[in-house]
Amino acid sequence: MKQVEAAAVRGRGGSGGASPLTGRSPPQAPDETEDVSLDLGSEEELALRKAEIRHPLATFFHLFFRVSAIITYLLCDWFSNSFVACFVTILLLLSFDFWSVKNVTGRLLVGLRWWNQIDEDGKSHWVFEAKRVPTVAASTEAEARIFWLGLIICPVIWTVFFFSTLFSLKLKWLALVLAGISLQTANLYGYIHCKLGGQKSIRRATPRLFVAADVPRNRPFPPKGKIPR
Amino acid sequence: LADVSIAEDITVEGEITVPVGSRSPDEDYSTLDEPVRETILRDLKAVGKKFVHVMYPKKSSALLRDWDLWGPLVLCVSLALMLQGGSADSKDDGGPQFAEVFVIIWFGAVVITLNSKLLGGTISFFQSLCVLGYCILPLTVAMLVCRLVLLAGSGTVSFIIRLIVVVAMFGWSTLASTAFLASEE
Repeated sequence: MKQVEAAAVRGRGGSGGASPLTGRSPPQAPDETEDVSLDLGSEEELALRKAEIRHPLATFFHLFFRVSAIITYLLCDWFSNSFVACFVTILLLLSFDFWSVKNVTGRLLVGLRWWNQIDEDGKSHWVFEAKRVPTVAASTEAEARIFWLGLIICPVIWTVFFFSTLFSLKLKWLALVLAGISLQTANLYGYIHCKLGGQKSIRRATPRLFVAADVPRNRPFPPKGKIPR
Repeated sequence: LADVSIAEDITVEGEITVPVGSRSPDEDYSTLDEPVRETILRDLKAVGKKFVHVMYPKKSSALLRDWDLWGPLVLCVSLALMLQGGSADSKDDGGPQFAEVFVIIWFGAVVITLNSKLLGGTISFFQSLCVLGYCILPLTVAMLVCRLVLLAGSGTVSFIIRLIVVVAMFGWSTLASTAFLASEE
């Protein structure tokens, strides 16, 4: 608060004559030259949210399995001559990627989760869960961006592989490519469903927190008074 | 001053319940904040329980509640590896046969599941895949035994032994699958 007041005082240095050392704001009614005071609590939140990456391990693993599956598929002829070894490796990488994105990185990086639940009378329904209250320990923007980019780009790449396999008639890889497409698209679909469902509930349940967490990047306005020479 | 002491032979007991603070309603079964190790252990335990159930089938209704496809994946891969290892004397490494085994198992399971759903079965799609996949375990055991028997020799006797083993394991598979499907019939 003191900084804000001092800036306001300096801005009016030409007219008011109040010395910056006293810290007393000139006895004038607050006008448009006074700065907007920021709530320091949300400043801290903003700083923490802008912090680089809060879950480095989760981010690494989110990308590691997907990217290694793609790289192994592209370079399998270099690694080994055996089709079986490549097939099994890529399949295991795809499965680990599916499991880790679905169960771990989704909830750590963006606070979303989806699963299938069978209740007592045997009916199965799909549950899509989204973190309602965006807490300070929630995701940062960098993490969310990495998450969504990784989630969207990889199924597209596998679809490209599907067409290239089909047209170059290397049909023994087709099963693997189809498995890759279905696993990654399933995760993509699940998380988009979570995200779309979640936004409605966030807006309904905690409107104040939603707004407060999304405070636009306020910078103090430059003081409008004349700057003393 | 009123005497507020109580006689010593009266026992005083009761329950104090304090409502826990404002918990959001979805924290009761929300798994959004559990540590990663717990997630891994939970899933491993579910997979292990199902494997044990295939080996010692007894009727259990809650087993299929948390289905998973990890067991079928592992079994499918091991079965396919063992099957293609047999044709190692041909020139290529049996690649297409390996993919064939995969396609047969998964496509076949999907077709059976669709069939059962179209006939009005109450089991869900993934539960059915889970059952069919886990019950491949006895067939994998049969595969192992047959490979060992083949190492000993490949005459008529070994053929009869292998036939008996495969039929027995097939019967075990069927029995195990009925144990899984106890409540769904």
